[in-house]
Amino acid sequence: MSTTTVGGPPRTGAGRAKRGHRALRSLQGVSFVLPNFLGFGLLTLGPVVALFYISFTNWNVFGTAKWIGLDNFTRLLKDASFHTALLNTLYYSAFHIPLTLAVSLALALLLNRKLRGVAFFRTAAFFPYITSIVAIAIAWNLLFSRDAGPVNQILGLFGVDDPPGWTASSDWAMPAVIIVGVWREMGYYMLLFLAGLQTVPPELHEAARIDGANAWQRFRNVTLPCLRPTTFFVTVMLTIGSFKVFDLILVMTNGGPGQSTLVLSQYIYQKGLVENRFGYASAISVVLFALCMLVTVVQFAVNRRRNA
Amino acid sequence: MAAPHALTDLAAPGPVEPGPAAAPERRRGLSPGKVLGYAVLVVAAIGLLLPFFWMVSSSLKTNSGVFSIPVTWFPDSPQWGNYAEIWRISDMLTWLKNTVFLSVVVTVLQLFTGSFAAYGFAKTRFPGRNLLFLLYIGTIAVPWQAYMIPQFIMMSEAGLTNTPWAIIALQAFGAFGVFLMRQYYATIPDELCEAARVDGLSEYGIYFRIMLPLSVPALASLALLTFVTTWNDYLGPLIYLRDPDLWTIQLGLKSFVSEYNAEHALIMTGSVLSVLPIAVVFLLGQKYFVQGIATSGMKG
Amino acid sequence: MRHRHPRWTAIAAAVTALTLTATACGADEPADSGGPVTLTMSAWSLKTTPEFQKLAEAFQAQNPEVKVEFKEYDAANYDTQLTADLAAGSAPDLYVLKNLKNFITYQSGEQLLDVSDVAGGLGNDVNGLGNYKVDGMTYAVPYRQDSWYLYYNKDLFTAAGVTPPSETWTWAEYEKASADLAAGLKAAGSPAKAAYQHTWQSTVQGLALAQTSGADLGSGDYGYLAPYYKRALEQQKAGAQVDYGTATTNTLQYQAQFGTQQAAMMLMGSWYVATLIAQQKKGDAQAFQWGFAPAPQADAGAKAKPVTFGDPTGIGINAAIDEGKVAAAKKFLTFAAGEGAASALASIGITPATLTEPVVKAYFGVEGVPGDELSKFAFTTHDTRAENPVSPQTAALQNILLETHSAIMSESTPVDDALRQAGERARSEVLESK
Repeated sequence: MSTTTVGGPPRTGAGRAKRGHRALRSLQGVSFVLPNFLGFGLLTLGPVVALFYISFTNWNVFGTAKWIGLDNFTRLLKDASFHTALLNTLYYSAFHIPLTLAVSLALALLLNRKLRGVAFFRTAAFFPYITSIVAIAIAWNLLFSRDAGPVNQILGLFGVDDPPGWTASSDWAMPAVIIVGVWREMGYYMLLFLAGLQTVPPELHEAARIDGANAWQRFRNVTLPCLRPTTFFVTVMLTIGSFKVFDLILVMTNGGPGQSTLVLSQYIYQKGLVENRFGYASAISVVLFALCMLVTVVQFAVNRRRNA
Repeated sequence: MAAPHALTDLAAPGPVEPGPAAAPERRRGLSPGKVLGYAVLVVAAIGLLLPFFWMVSSSLKTNSGVFSIPVTWFPDSPQWGNYAEIWRISDMLTWLKNTVFLSVVVTVLQLFTGSFAAYGFAKTRFPGRNLLFLLYIGTIAVPWQAYMIPQFIMMSEAGLTNTPWAIIALQAFGAFGVFLMRQYYATIPDELCEAARVDGLSEYGIYFRIMLPLSVPALASLALLTFVTTWNDYLGPLIYLRDPDLWTIQLGLKSFVSEYNAEHALIMTGSVLSVLPIAVVFLLGQKYFVQGIATSGMKG
Repeated sequence: MRHRHPRWTAIAAAVTALTLTATACGADEPADSGGPVTLTMSAWSLKTTPEFQKLAEAFQAQNPEVKVEFKEYDAANYDTQLTADLAAGSAPDLYVLKNLKNFITYQSGEQLLDVSDVAGGLGNDVNGLGNYKVDGMTYAVPYRQDSWYLYYNKDLFTAAGVTPPSETWTWAEYEKASADLAAGLKAAGSPAKAAYQHTWQSTVQGLALAQTSGADLGSGDYGYLAPYYKRALEQQKAGAQVDYGTATTNTLQYQAQFGTQQAAMMLMGSWYVATLIAQQKKGDAQAFQWGFAPAPQADAGAKAKPVTFGDPTGIGINAAIDEGKVAAAKKFLTFAAGEGAASALASIGITPATLTEPVVKAYFGVEGVPGDELSKFAFTTHDTRAENPVSPQTAALQNILLETHSAIMSESTPVDDALRQAGERARSEVLESK
């Protein structure tokens, strides 16, 4: 980097050499990122880099980490439980991501107006996210109870004779967890959408209305395009969040019955903190990381193409 | 506007109509569509609050009543004494004080460093910017339980474990806030910054005088989410805080659960109390999600 | 202080060095040998778990020059926190081995001092001591040895007109009593079930492993579990006990099930004796007559010493302890496993590792402990096998069996299929990758 001193505010057309000007701007850019990066690089990036290293070792917390090359990864190829966990994670994500996206956006649109009691409804929508997860697990398990649970009683009203066993059944535990997952997180993403909606200029809506656009057309052609950075952010966070789903499943089903709701994060937890095989757990984390990054980069590309 | 449109309108996006067209409709009172809309909202709210209601109802039961079958949603003789007992039997006050301190400090730091860095990523250019940003997102994708031990060893060698600074260091510089704020800044037109530069504002001036005021809704959501995350964080305090004087509300409650594992009603009492402060913070914070704060400045 | 950090910390250290002045690895003040010594020890839930204070007090009464201070951990996440502390070099001098399953991790990670000399001086009366022996050397000593009993509600048995358990109950007799109880309780108008089986895998697998000759967790052959699972399923199908699905979705608590007379019998560990007494006193459990009997036996031949299961709880010495504290620490271990500590622990309703005559007397002197002959027999006479035989594979195998447990008990997978799959998984995921 060239040695431009930070003298004063750069003025366009002040006669400085273009190059020095760009270097100064760069330096200023770096200065914005630096305070956060100091903490981030040290406390998060460092350990994450260490994790990548550990994934090539047999580290078990105690003792030295022996480099074993790709052994952990070749073992993953043959590990049936890992495959189950991977498939379950994809199953969960395939439903959780689109459902949460749709519901939270709808909620945000619904609650982004001057309704009477809007503060109450917004808070109610956010409540599942702040309610203690243990209480959530207990209450939802009660609601899902096979014989006396309200969910099955309602299904009975609609003529379902043989209602599912939900969390006590290996076929229905995952749908149950997905439902609770959407229910719990929609308020969280609603909040992000609410913030994003504030950037949609009302004039655009007004103009579209004057042009005779109906509500759906205004949504498609005004709201969605303006909301794109937010939608991108929400989609990426939601994707990563779904791939990493952990505590909800841990308290609701603990992966069961059998392995029907075992997901990657839980498998990492088992291998790492329960069995102390941190080398192996790190290797699974690297796979999870790669998966998230793959989807994120695709989303980046799609987002960029849309913006172009 | 005719009544049948009201329902579609409710579900439709968009701002509250500022124009005169909307005014008469609002004055006309409740249309059938609006009533239906409210009915839907109320039913939804019940569904959303049901587990919380279960918590409240359990907190007013006796221990043996909490898990009795069938479930009683309204206890016959509410045990209000539970709400006095919990303060006596546990260190709720200490836990709450610690949690408020941590949540406030973390939120302030996250807001400042996060939005500051976000400006760097969104509105300035420097070599390696996009790669670095991708690294930020990348770390979000790594599960914490996999790297928490290496991190713990590092923190321990820095002498930070078993101090509140461990939690602050852990939470305050997260990638989440940077990502959130950067996406928000991306919606603010570059022309606005260009114009400000022409007017002679420095980059820092643009950040403080233009970007910050414009991003109130995003700052509000970041503040709320950071506050809630710190408030509800369990694993972080579990690993880093050993001294009971430092415990947060979640850690305190969980250890209360394992200490008094048969005190089901009191456990729920504690849980209800731990949720209330966030609910209040949320009620206060949500008012920043109002059309106009963001755009009024943009019109210049 | 020993540095045992893996090479990768070089990376972390390089990053750290940028801004942080590395404060050298936590420097403990070396204690002068001979003078007063302070030992630190791990513990959990100090407010409601009096055993640690009791141990320390009884020890200090005999050894005033040694002070024991506790470092409190979370009961549910004890091993996670302790592992982190050991890795960072900030763990206490003495630490409790709460779960036998994880002992091998600490031992093979060289986090435990060899205490063979302490073990050698203890004699053969300490139950569970052998579990801590690896390659001829002992790395910890037990201070409590819980084992599983059959708890029964005397009032409900009387109401149903069923003969209470005896010293020699077999599983066949248990099944018969269960059927009689179900019918008798119904006839007497009681809503109680014959038994409650908690959702833990231990309730089925622990006894199956202990009572089946030739059963081996590490063999990868889990056929020995089949009769125990078939019995459990039959019991829940017959309605003699609440089914697993109901117990999990309703988060049933075993203390409430037995304590509020929802079930006439329950298999549970010996720790529940103290809990039930306390809950009856406080009113969380109802007032009724109860006792405990040996767990039902697989064959009638085990009369003299009924076979049951349970893991010991041990104490070990941190390998990184100061040289000057070792002697005091070993003294503490000798005390904790011996009769002195055992009597003190028994006097608060704990089942200690040493069960000599004065210890038994102290235990049954506790107010509320059932004083009948059968309970005394169950307390003193049993062959308690470890639920988690010490091996590096145990934790992973138990994990597989936990998943198997929920698959079978929720009736998602038939017993034989589930056990065959468990065996296949054990071989491919754990045993072959030694």
